[in-house]
Amino acid sequence: MRFSKTGTLVAMAAASALLLTACSGTANGGAATGDTVVPKTDGKGKTITVWTMQDDYDAATIAAINAEFEKQTGAKVNIQEQQWNGITTKISTALATSTPPDVLDLGNTQVASFAENGGLLDLTPYKKDLQQGQTWVTGLEEPATVDGALYAVPSFAGSRAVLYNKKIWAAAGVTEAPTTYAELTAALDKVKAANTEADFSPLYFPGQNWQASLQWVWDAGGDIATVKNGTWSGALGSPEAQKGLEAWKDFQNTYSTPASQTLDVQSPAQVQVFADGKTSAIIATYGLISQVLKANPALTADDLGAFALPGISGKPQPVLIGGSDWGIPTKTTNKDLALQWTKIAASPTIQKDFVFGSNGWIPNSTELASEIGATLDPTRKAFFDATQISRATPAAARWADLEGDKSINNLFTSIASGAKSAKDAAAAFDQATEKTLNKK
Amino acid sequence: MSATIARPRSGARRHRRPLRWKATTIAVIFCVVWIFPTYWMVNTAFKPRSELMSPVPKFWPENPTVDNFVVAVTQTGFLRNLANSAIVVIIAVVCAILMGLLAAAALSVFRFRSRRSILVAILVIQMLPATSLLIPQFLIFNSVGLLGTYAGLILAYISLTLPFAIWVMRGFFVAIPAEVGEAAQIDGASSWQMLTRIYFPLVAPGVISTSVFAFITAWNDYLIAYTFMKDQAMYTLPVWLATFSTPTHGTDFGGQMAASVLFALPVVVFFMLVQRRLVSGITAGSVKG
Amino acid sequence: MNATSTLLPPDAQSRPAGDTRAPHTPPPTGRGPRRRRNLAPFALLAPGGILLALVTLAPIVFVVFISFTDFGQRSLFTGAFAGVGFDQYTALLGDPEFWYSVLRTIGFTVALVAGSVLIGMGISHLLTRLNTGMRLAVTIVLICAWAMPNVAASLVWTWLFQPGYGVMNWLLTQLHVFGDMTNTNWANDPVLAYTSIWMLVVWQAVPFIALTLNAAETQVPGEYIEAARLDGAGEFRIYRTVTLQHMKPTLFLVTILSVIWDFNIFNQIWLVSSGGPDGATSTLGVFMYTTAFVGFDIARGAAIAVVTTLMLLGLTAVYIRSLIRSGEEL
Repeated sequence: MRFSKTGTLVAMAAASALLLTACSGTANGGAATGDTVVPKTDGKGKTITVWTMQDDYDAATIAAINAEFEKQTGAKVNIQEQQWNGITTKISTALATSTPPDVLDLGNTQVASFAENGGLLDLTPYKKDLQQGQTWVTGLEEPATVDGALYAVPSFAGSRAVLYNKKIWAAAGVTEAPTTYAELTAALDKVKAANTEADFSPLYFPGQNWQASLQWVWDAGGDIATVKNGTWSGALGSPEAQKGLEAWKDFQNTYSTPASQTLDVQSPAQVQVFADGKTSAIIATYGLISQVLKANPALTADDLGAFALPGISGKPQPVLIGGSDWGIPTKTTNKDLALQWTKIAASPTIQKDFVFGSNGWIPNSTELASEIGATLDPTRKAFFDATQISRATPAAARWADLEGDKSINNLFTSIASGAKSAKDAAAAFDQATEKTLNKK
Repeated sequence: MSATIARPRSGARRHRRPLRWKATTIAVIFCVVWIFPTYWMVNTAFKPRSELMSPVPKFWPENPTVDNFVVAVTQTGFLRNLANSAIVVIIAVVCAILMGLLAAAALSVFRFRSRRSILVAILVIQMLPATSLLIPQFLIFNSVGLLGTYAGLILAYISLTLPFAIWVMRGFFVAIPAEVGEAAQIDGASSWQMLTRIYFPLVAPGVISTSVFAFITAWNDYLIAYTFMKDQAMYTLPVWLATFSTPTHGTDFGGQMAASVLFALPVVVFFMLVQRRLVSGITAGSVKG
Repeated sequence: MNATSTLLPPDAQSRPAGDTRAPHTPPPTGRGPRRRRNLAPFALLAPGGILLALVTLAPIVFVVFISFTDFGQRSLFTGAFAGVGFDQYTALLGDPEFWYSVLRTIGFTVALVAGSVLIGMGISHLLTRLNTGMRLAVTIVLICAWAMPNVAASLVWTWLFQPGYGVMNWLLTQLHVFGDMTNTNWANDPVLAYTSIWMLVVWQAVPFIALTLNAAETQVPGEYIEAARLDGAGEFRIYRTVTLQHMKPTLFLVTILSVIWDFNIFNQIWLVSSGGPDGATSTLGVFMYTTAFVGFDIARGAAIAVVTTLMLLGLTAVYIRSLIRSGEEL
C-alpha cells in the first residue's frame, strides 16, 4: 500500500498548512496545470447531500467515507440512495435546481451527456490532488473525461460473472465450475434435469438484463454500434451480432424461466429468486453476494461459487465494464466540501478496504488493482477474471438516452419472448441508435 | 318478463320477484369481480415471503404475518412521507376550498359584466391536462426557488384543485333559491353578512364533499411530486409508494402490497365514512329529502 | 380515473330534458347599493383569481413561449436557449410518432369512455333492482375501487398480472380458453398492455359513473314507469324510452367528463407499461412527459402541451355548449 495511515495524515497536515497560507480556499488558480489542491474548509454546521445508486455501495463503505469526512471537516452528510429506474430524469431535474445534491454517484456512461450540457463541475484543476498519487484505470478515466476536461472522479469498475449455488449443483452431480461453454450448458442441463419445480430455473436470466446479454453479441464478434467520421451507425444487424443474439436467445430460453423473458432484475428481485433457491445461478456483480446472504441467512459464503462466463468462441465472454464515478453538480452550494468528500471516497484507503474490501469492486487505480490481484479468493478471482476481455457501451454523449428510454431493454425482451425476430429487433434498435446517437 | 314462472303472489310482486333474483346474482358476480384486486392486495400484504411466489397462487395466507407492514413502516421513510403528504395536501385543500368558496359565491350570487367569461376561463383551466402544466410550472418554480419545498407543491396542488372547486361549489350556490338572498337583502344585510349568515351555512354540505374530492386529487398526485421533490425526505406518499424498495429485500411484492394497503386504507375508510354525504353531495338539489 | 373532478355541478344533473327554467334569479339590485355590490364579487374573486393567474395562467403563457425556443437539457443547467420560431411545431407535426400518439389517445379514450359509461349505466340500473343489503354491498365494493389511490391501484395491477406469479395469469390459464398465460407479460404486448390498463382505468372509473347515474335514475318519476308498464312495455323498452330519456342530461355530462379525464390518463399508463412496448401505449400525456422529462427535449414537450391543450379546448367547447343546453346558466 502506497498510502499508509500516517502518510495520509502527513498529506493532510501539509494540505492544511497550504490552506493557511492561501487564505480562503476557493482556489481556481491552477486550472491550467491541474494541480490545484482540494481546499480544506471548516464545514461545522453544514450538511452536504450525496446521491448514491442502489446496489453500488454497501452501508459500511458509505459510513467509512462519511466518518473520515466528518472528522476532517466537521460537516454532516445526507445520503440518499436512488433507484436506477428513471434516474436520468431524476438527476437532470435535480441538476437544474439551485440546490442540487452536492455529490452524485454516476454510471460512467452517464457522465458525458451531463458534462456536455454543463451540468457537472469541471474538475480538471484538482485532478492531480484527486488522484492522490495513483494512476486511474484508463477505462474509467476516459468516460469521465470530455474534450480533455475531467468531469467526474473514477470510483470503481465492475463486471458480471455467474454466481451459483454449490449445493444445488452438487446435488445434480456438478462439482467443478465449468470452463467452456459446452461444460456450462452441460452443467445447467444436469441441474435442470434434477429440479423439476414449475418455477425453478437452472440460471435465472431476466431478459432486461441487457448488460449481461450483450456478452453473447461481443463473444460472437458483433458490436452495438460503430462510429465513422463522427457518425454512428447501428451494428446489431451484422451477421456476427445476429449470431450472438440468436445464441443468447437460445441460452436464455433454455435455462431461465419463461416468465423471466421480459422481466428486469428488480421485480421480482433476482437476488431474492436466487436466495430462495428458485434458481441455481444468476449473472451478477460481486456486491450481490452479501445481499443474497442477507436475504437468506441459511446460506453461507461457502455455499456460493462464481466463475467467468465462458464464450462459445472458446475464450471467456467479453464483459461490459460497468464503471462508477463521483460527479459534482455545477450549481452545488458546497463545492469545497463536495470536493473533499469526493477526494476521500476516491482515496486509496477507502478504495482498498471498502470499495474493494467490502463491495468487491475493482478499485479505481492500476496500482491497487495489481496489488489486490495477488490476494484474491476464488470467488472474487472469478469476477476479476471476467474483466480480462472487457468492452464498453458506445462512447457517445447520447448513449444514456437509449438506456433511459429502455430501448436497449426492449431489444432483448422482444427477442427473448419471440415478439420479434432477432433481425427485426436489431433493425429497430439500430434505427433508434442512429437517431439518438447522431442527435445534436 | 317471465311473470308466469313465478308463483302467484300479489300483483305488484309478481313481476318483481324473478327480476330481483337475476339482479342479485349479477350483483354478486359484479362484487366478486370488482373487489378482487382489493382482496388480492390485502391477501398479498399478509403473506410471508415464502408464500408470495408460488406457481399456484395461495388464496389465503397460510401463515399470516404483519412483517411486510413492519418493514414498510420501519425500514422506509413512510412516517416522514406520510407527514409530508398530510401537510401539503391539507394546507392546499384548505386554501383551495376557502378561495374557491369565495370565488364561487362571487360567480353565483352576484351579477357582473365579466362573469360569463370568467366562468368559461375557469372551465377551460379545469380541462387542461396536468402534464402540460408540469413543464412550465417546473421551470418557473425552479427559477423562484420553489422546487423541493412544501410551498411549491402546495401552490401546484391549489392550481390543480381550485378551478374544479370553484366550479363545483358554484353549483351548490346556484341551487339555493333566489328568494333566500332577496329576503336577506330586504332585511338590509350587507353582502358579506348575506354570505356568511345565509349562503355559507346552506352550502356547507357541498363544501364538505368538494373538499373530499379536492383532497383525493391532491392525495393521489404522483407526477408533480415526483418531478418537484428531489429529496427523499420531501417525498409524498405516492412517490414513496411508486419507488418503494426496502434496504434488505429490494422491491418485493409483499412489501409493496403492504405499502399500498397503508396508503389506500385511510382514503377508503374516509370514503366509507362520508359515503352517504358524498353521494348526496354529488346529487344535492336533485335528490328529494 | 382522476377521482378528482368527479363532481358534477349538482344543478346540472338529472334535470328532466326540456326543463330550461333558470335555476336562480339574481337578487334585484337597487340603485344605491349596486355600486358597492359591484365591487364585492371582485373582492371575493381576488384571492383565487390572483393565485390562478400566477400558478396557472402565467405558466400557460410561458409554455407557449418555450414552445418557440430550443429549450433543452443544456438550458436547464445553464439557462441558455434561443428562439427557433415555429421549428418545434413543424418538426412535431412532421413526426409520425406524434400522429400515432394522437390516434392512440383518441382510440384509447373512446374505448375507456365506452367501457366505463356502459358498465356504469348497467350498475346504476342494477342498484335500483337490489334490496338494501345488496345495494350496500355493491356500494362498498364500488367505493373500494373508487377510493384506491391510482398509484396503489397501478402497483396492484402489475402484481395481479405479474409474469410467472400473477394471479390473473394463473386464473386465465385455468380457464383453458386462452392457453397457458402463466408467463405472459402484459406490459410487453401492445394489445395486452392496453387491455390491462383499460381494466385498471375502468375499474376505478365505474364507481363514480354508476353512483352518479344511479342518483339520477332514482329521480325518474315512478308514475312514468308504471304507466309504461301498464301499456305492456318490456323492461328494456321502459329503460330505453322512459328512464334513459330522463337521465339523458346526466348521462351526457358524465360522458363528456369521462372523455376529458380519460384523455388525460397518465399515472396508470406510466406505472404499468411506461408507454411501452416500443411506445405502443405512449398516449399524448406520456409522449409529452417522455419527450420533456426523459429525452429532455423540453421545448418539443412544450409544443406537444400546446397542441394537446388546443385539442382539449375543442372538447371543452362541446362541454360548455352542453351545459348551456341542459339549462346551466353561465
